Amino acid sequence: MTNTVLTMLASVGTILIYIGARYGYRRVTYPFMMPILTTTLVIIIILIAFGMPYQRYMDGAQWIDELLGPAVVALAFPLYQQRAMIKCYSLPLLIGIFVGVCVGIMTGFGFAWLLGVPESIRTSLLPKSVTTPVAMEIAQVSGGTPAIAVVFVMVAGIGGVILAPYLFKWVKIRSDLGKGISLGAGSHAIGTAKSLEYGERAAAVSSVAMTLSALFASVLVPLFVYFTS
Amino acid sequence: MSVKPFLKIAVQVVLLYGIYRVGVWLQVNLSLPLPGSIIGFLLLFSLLSLKLIPVFIIEKGSRFLLKHLTLFFVPVTVGVMQYDYFFQGKGLLLIPAVLVSTVLVMIISAKIFEYVMSKTKYSND
Repeated sequence: MTNTVLTMLASVGTILIYIGARYGYRRVTYPFMMPILTTTLVIIIILIAFGMPYQRYMDGAQWIDELLGPAVVALAFPLYQQRAMIKCYSLPLLIGIFVGVCVGIMTGFGFAWLLGVPESIRTSLLPKSVTTPVAMEIAQVSGGTPAIAVVFVMVAGIGGVILAPYLFKWVKIRSDLGKGISLGAGSHAIGTAKSLEYGERAAAVSSVAMTLSALFASVLVPLFVYFTS
Repeated sequence: MSVKPFLKIAVQVVLLYGIYRVGVWLQVNLSLPLPGSIIGFLLLFSLLSLKLIPVFIIEKGSRFLLKHLTLFFVPVTVGVMQYDYFFQGKGLLLIPAVLVSTVLVMIISAKIFEYVMSKTKYSND
């Protein structure tokens, strides 16, 4: 297969499956129908069915991946639009997110310790609520494995957005701001993408939560690992 | 339908991509601990706040990229398929562990936020 054909197939295929998944989600707004989950699953099934290795798919779809960068940059737009609100809530935001990051590191460590997994895997699990590129870097500097860290980042991201609607009902998180912080602090950029469903205010605090989590975790995880190993 | 709105979005996306590349450049050259995309995000926010660029030159492109944010994650999330061996044995137990830990982060960060907010007497809207 030539590269052009591969790129065409991987990109057009990904976009078509994504459009279909969005359409499906609009018809049945059920958390398990989240486009990130359905699109990912359908593509994995197709790749396995046709015996296509992931690396070849990624070669073809990498320009889509490349757009993730400017999309994260674009989060500055809702943040700017909502800057007055963010400034007003800066103290509760900072405290809530800082405590959230600490809880994530400690419970992640605790569960991994109880399960008795090797230290490198335990360390890779700590930055799970941080956006992928930062999580990989944190895992690297702390003695974990970046590729394994990505798996946990995906579980926290996709799992968090699927569970979020149930969770908000169960523990009564009703404000759009609370929902945004919850999603950004627990499920990084995948959570922030989901928070757009709750409006621009939710998306703005969610992007703040995601960014602050990344900043806090990049300092706290290496320190935590240093003192626990 | 005219082509103009699409052209506008395309030009703005190129501009946002440029800011992202500047972020990557800064990360590499100053060896910053943050990824280029986050640096670009902070950069764009600063540019907007300091009124160095007007909002309208990135608004349409930003809305477009954010509307389809999910799509841009797909190539990376599909990569989970490479680690199927990991989901056998003990690795499998780490999935519910990670989920419970994530849920705790989600509940506690939102609850603390709401608590501190109520203590500092902010009006709700």
